Amino acid sequence: MTEPLSPGDGTHAPDAAALAAELQSVIEAVAGVTAVYPARPLWQTIAGAARSAVTGEARSRVDVASSDTGRPVTAVKVRIGVSGAHPAPHVARAVAAAVRQHLSPHPVTVQVGIVQIGSEEAADASGAQEM
Amino acid sequence: MSTPSDALSCGHSLADLSEYLDTGQIGDPGHLAECPECQSGLASLRRLAALGNELLDADTAAAGSGSDDWMKTILGNLRLELRPGRSIPLRADTPGDVLTETEGSVSALIRSVADSLPGAAAGKCRLYGDLTEPGAPITVGVELAVVYGHPLEQRAATLRQELATVLSRQTELNITAIDVTITDVLEPRNPGPGAPAAGAPVAGAPAPTVGPGGPPTPQEKP
Repeated sequence: MTEPLSPGDGTHAPDAAALAAELQSVIEAVAGVTAVYPARPLWQTIAGAARSAVTGEARSRVDVASSDTGRPVTAVKVRIGVSGAHPAPHVARAVAAAVRQHLSPHPVTVQVGIVQIGSEEAADASGAQEM
Repeated sequence: MSTPSDALSCGHSLADLSEYLDTGQIGDPGHLAECPECQSGLASLRRLAALGNELLDADTAAAGSGSDDWMKTILGNLRLELRPGRSIPLRADTPGDVLTETEGSVSALIRSVADSLPGAAAGKCRLYGDLTEPGAPITVGVELAVVYGHPLEQRAATLRQELATVLSRQTELNITAIDVTITDVLEPRNPGPGAPAAGAPVAGAPAPTVGPGGPPTPQEKP
């Protein structure tokens, strides 16, 4: 069973922010990932967005959560866009595996939401097939 | 400013996005890089604009000529489908992980496949069935507007085949039927000498429905 993530506000403590940035790089390196979107939609992170606007600090796109302060990360949440050239379900599993490997040996649950699927393949297929 | 019913989940509206395409200006340009719904909306609006150009180039019924109900229908559906919608579960390799696709991402994919057909624009793109239950039977419903002169049945058959292929690759849904309905045939204003013979379906004629039918097998792929 997945532990529910604590409600995020789009901002993190400095170490958590650094880890989130690290994880974002890891996720972006997975084949088929075209974008990493803020893990929570704007309306859910309005406080964090406002704070970021004031401080100039970028909002983290990867949500990391731990059960207690100082304990390793227990849950990671991310929303991604994927390329049409790769099967989206495979990309989601690859992202979860990459996050898990990066945080190994600490156990972690991963939430991956695909919010955009590219259509490169569809466009290619249509272009190749003149009707 | 957009009305609440106009707004996407992020607060922007299709009107905002359309203005951005026209002028390159929007209140918070940084938002566009962070919002998949706005990005899908922009892509759809660009494809619609391309179809509008085709209509004008072909000297057929132009959008905005007073008979642009088809465009209003498309925009109305687009507004709904840009919302994230239901979460579609994906199989996870590790117990405890939660992998999903949004209904909006799949609807946008269906729309992009339909829009990629020459002379066609998707109206309604819907997924019917319990998307949240793995293996539940799902029906895809697509409504199309087709520019006069394009072969309707061939368009519909091709679309069904392409959707079956793309959806089997990009989702784990159990697609049991893909229904394609031609809801609008955009009538030529001044048909040229190369236009199809009279008697071909035109706007206002009964809309042919192709389907219901199961997704084609790979053998049916041309």
